[in-house]
Amino acid sequence: MIKLRDICRNFQVGDETVHALDQVTLDIAAGDYISVMGPSGSGKSTLLNMLGLLDMPNSGSYLFENKELTKLSEEKRARFRREKIGFIFQSFHLVPRLTAAGNLELPLMLTGMLPAKRRVLVQEALASVGLEDRAHHLPKQLSGGQQQRVAIARAMIMKPPLLLADEPTGNLDTHSGDEIIKTLEVLNQTGITLIVVTHDLELGQRAGRTIQMVDGKVVHDES
Amino acid sequence: MRILDTLNFSQTTLRAYPARTALILLAMAIGVASVIILTSLGEGARNYVTGQFRSLGTHLLFILPGRSETTGGLPPLLGTSPRDLTIDDAIALKQSPAIRHVAPLLLGNAPVSHASREREVTVLGSSNEMQVIMTLEVIMGKFLPAENPRIGSPVCVLGDKLYHELFGNRNPIGEWVRIGSYRYRVIGVLGDKERAFGFDNSDAVIIPVASAQTMFNKTSLFRILVKASSADALDRAKEDVLRIIRQRHEGEDDVTVIRQDALIGTFDEILKILTWVVAGIAAISLIVAGILIMNVMLVSVSQRRAEIGLLKALGASTREVLQLFLSEALILSLAGGVIGLGIGFVGAQALQVWLPDFPVQVPLWSIIAALLVTLITGLAFGLIPARQAARLDPVIALAGK
Amino acid sequence: MRSADYMRLAATSLKFNKMRSFLTALGITVGIAAVVLLTSLGGGVQQYMLGQFTQFGAHIIAVNPGKTSTIGLSGAIISNVRPLTLDDAASLEQLNGVLTAVPIVQGNLPVETGNRSRWTMVLGVNHQAPQTWQFKIAQGQFLPDEPAEQARNLSVIGHKIKTELFPDTNPLGKRIRIGQERYRVIGVMEEKGQILGIDLDDAVYIPAHRGMALFNRESLMEVDILYRAGWNEDKLVKAIKKHLIRRHGAEDFTINTQSDMLGTLGSILNILTAVVAGLGSISLVVGGVGIFTIMSIAVNERIREIGLLRALGASRTQVTLMFLLEATFLSGLGGIAGMLTGLGVAWLLHAFIPALPVNVEWNYVLLAEVIAIFTGIIAGLLPARRAAALPPVDALRSE
Repeated sequence: MIKLRDICRNFQVGDETVHALDQVTLDIAAGDYISVMGPSGSGKSTLLNMLGLLDMPNSGSYLFENKELTKLSEEKRARFRREKIGFIFQSFHLVPRLTAAGNLELPLMLTGMLPAKRRVLVQEALASVGLEDRAHHLPKQLSGGQQQRVAIARAMIMKPPLLLADEPTGNLDTHSGDEIIKTLEVLNQTGITLIVVTHDLELGQRAGRTIQMVDGKVVHDES
Repeated sequence: MRILDTLNFSQTTLRAYPARTALILLAMAIGVASVIILTSLGEGARNYVTGQFRSLGTHLLFILPGRSETTGGLPPLLGTSPRDLTIDDAIALKQSPAIRHVAPLLLGNAPVSHASREREVTVLGSSNEMQVIMTLEVIMGKFLPAENPRIGSPVCVLGDKLYHELFGNRNPIGEWVRIGSYRYRVIGVLGDKERAFGFDNSDAVIIPVASAQTMFNKTSLFRILVKASSADALDRAKEDVLRIIRQRHEGEDDVTVIRQDALIGTFDEILKILTWVVAGIAAISLIVAGILIMNVMLVSVSQRRAEIGLLKALGASTREVLQLFLSEALILSLAGGVIGLGIGFVGAQALQVWLPDFPVQVPLWSIIAALLVTLITGLAFGLIPARQAARLDPVIALAGK
Repeated sequence: MRSADYMRLAATSLKFNKMRSFLTALGITVGIAAVVLLTSLGGGVQQYMLGQFTQFGAHIIAVNPGKTSTIGLSGAIISNVRPLTLDDAASLEQLNGVLTAVPIVQGNLPVETGNRSRWTMVLGVNHQAPQTWQFKIAQGQFLPDEPAEQARNLSVIGHKIKTELFPDTNPLGKRIRIGQERYRVIGVMEEKGQILGIDLDDAVYIPAHRGMALFNRESLMEVDILYRAGWNEDKLVKAIKKHLIRRHGAEDFTINTQSDMLGTLGSILNILTAVVAGLGSISLVVGGVGIFTIMSIAVNERIREIGLLRALGASRTQVTLMFLLEATFLSGLGGIAGMLTGLGVAWLLHAFIPALPVNVEWNYVLLAEVIAIFTGIIAGLLPARRAAALPPVDALRSE
């Protein structure tokens, strides 16, 4: 599904060049459940951003379903993210002004879908995370776990093949964190490729494949 | 907290958001600058108009035939009256010790021609003393001779434009021109800056009043111009004019006497009001700028809740927090005002360069008014946000969100 | 993305910060209200002035002796070598399309009756004056139609003269003295009020021929020609010109048409209104700076949200449009509120001070609205583009 070849990503910090990703080569098959681990600054978030087309490599090639993505224009990348990739963040990133339903609607809105059709999809998505009765709550009226579930529903509402999660449990208590992980794993079992970046060793071990990164390099890759 | 410390603290927070601060200053400056520029324009117009009148000297009287009892309206500029205002009336006015110069004025229209060129112009019939009264400048030859005004010699003085139309740049002195059906010898040419009261003397010809009477077959004068011996003598001169004319007109008060300074006063008043109105309209923009200050301060209060909470935790009183935010608003409005003043001055200077004849001048009152208004604006619109900040509960404020 | 969705998103974020949105829109409101109110007042003055001018009727052509002089007064008031005579006036009546031709001389004289006396405007005219100027007779009749040279010493007095000289008695048939001559009062005019500062009620009408004798003039000051409605004015002016040149041998007169005067006056007043509108728009500019400031702040506050939108697949264009629409919403709402405020204040002013002429200039109102919305777009463009240009990774990470 995904082929990364010799991906390099450098940042200029003062006079120094930091190699956030250093010649990363990686193959990811559809349906994989991968955890990316490593100390902070090892490049795991950069890798995730790269995979999610939020960031572009300085060199190397990124094939997604045999399509080269590094040459895509800004607008095409936005479209690609919209259709193929779901994001989940440590800090949930819900729009505070919009209700749970409103947040779920956002990606659909971006495609220009009609409101009637959107409502149906939003209801389904909320039901799938067990929050149908919280549709009209604002984020601040929801618990952390609920917020993250809304975020997951939002990430999945376009039915993307790839789900990227950056420390999805980092801001949650153990109980809520477990629930979130279980929700993600259920999604993985329906065939969605799941990549989780985490500090949490226990969480990392649950994945079918774990990748260890140090200084921008993949040092360990084990299925 | 000492005032200086308060100001210093406010100043640092304003510097922390340079773009925001700059925009508020810009808004305030636009308002103040437009007030300054517009008032200086208005003041310039006032100086220009009153200057035009004053260039004639300040103690003039105009005597018009006829009278109207409709008060408050315009003086009876139009129409004639049964008993003429005559040259003899004008001469008689000289009896008064309060009157120094008298010039009769008869106005008409006639074609003036020289060689093959002809032009229909205003013909002014007057006397030698008109030059002194109207402060006319003769650039070539001389003005009408001092002679008995009842005798009209066939001489004329050309306005600048008429001279160029008829003679190009040739010397006209001693040449003959035809005015109506009479021939006149040119004895002088007026300078090119001779206009006042809307009389444009440059496209006119001046001849002795008696000649004009003959030409237009008319004894009645259009005006008598009187210059009093001094500004103090103006009232006496006016009384004398009325008395002398009444005696000569069988006890009838059938003339209107207008003091020049009364005219100046009217124009002065009108232009002053106009300037105030224009400045007032421009000052509306200061209110808009004030609204902006309030808006941004409110944003700033909600963004700095944690900071306010901290200040309170450190022991800042409600009043001190209030002062802190109020002084921020004041710094914004006053700095904007000062920048606006600067722009206004530069703008006024630029206008001066562009309109060299126009005495553009930034009036002191508008500077004071503009600064006062900015001060009040800052206080008034800063108050609500400042109170909001001061009333914050430190516990909630420190907890963030 | 559908435009309805853009609007909904914009509305949600504006509602979220109600006070802020209100104050931002208020800036524009004040500016627009100023423009609408000021142009309404300007329009009112314009309408008032034009109304004053057309009170005499719109189909009048004035002929004055002499070419227009450089001092701006026509030859009527000052002396002239070439007179305009009663015969000229009478002959003009023969032209096609001309309904009336009123000869006019005018001056100021004391009018006396018994022991009362008043200086007033005396107008020498003919019997057609009321028809030409649309004046009405309140009492008695106007001057009769008689051969100009044989006109009798009859007079018609204005309303004010009646109240001043005949406060308690019926003036009809009474004698008044004008100058040294005695006139019989045969009519009283209806009250007309002031027109352009001239009190038309403070006047006495006598036959033109007698007026010329009274003022010792050989020329009329003006001939006012009333022409048939719908008649081609330009053609008539040409015909009058040709006719008078044939009689005088030269063009020694000036023709002023009502439409010339209205045109000149109208353009002066238009400039006035435009200047006033311009002054009002200074506030609009300041209001625009306000929108710019607030939108810049909003972009700063919502950097993380922008990052999220980009992660969800919003394109740069979509992000730009979202913020642009917010700014436009603010200015548009402010504009509408300003329009209503301006109209309301104009209406109130008119209701409380009926003498104050108010006429809403819809052109300016529309222009102001368009400018308001445009201000929003301009002021919103830079912040919106800055929002769209943010790198999504940085935006997501921002605090």
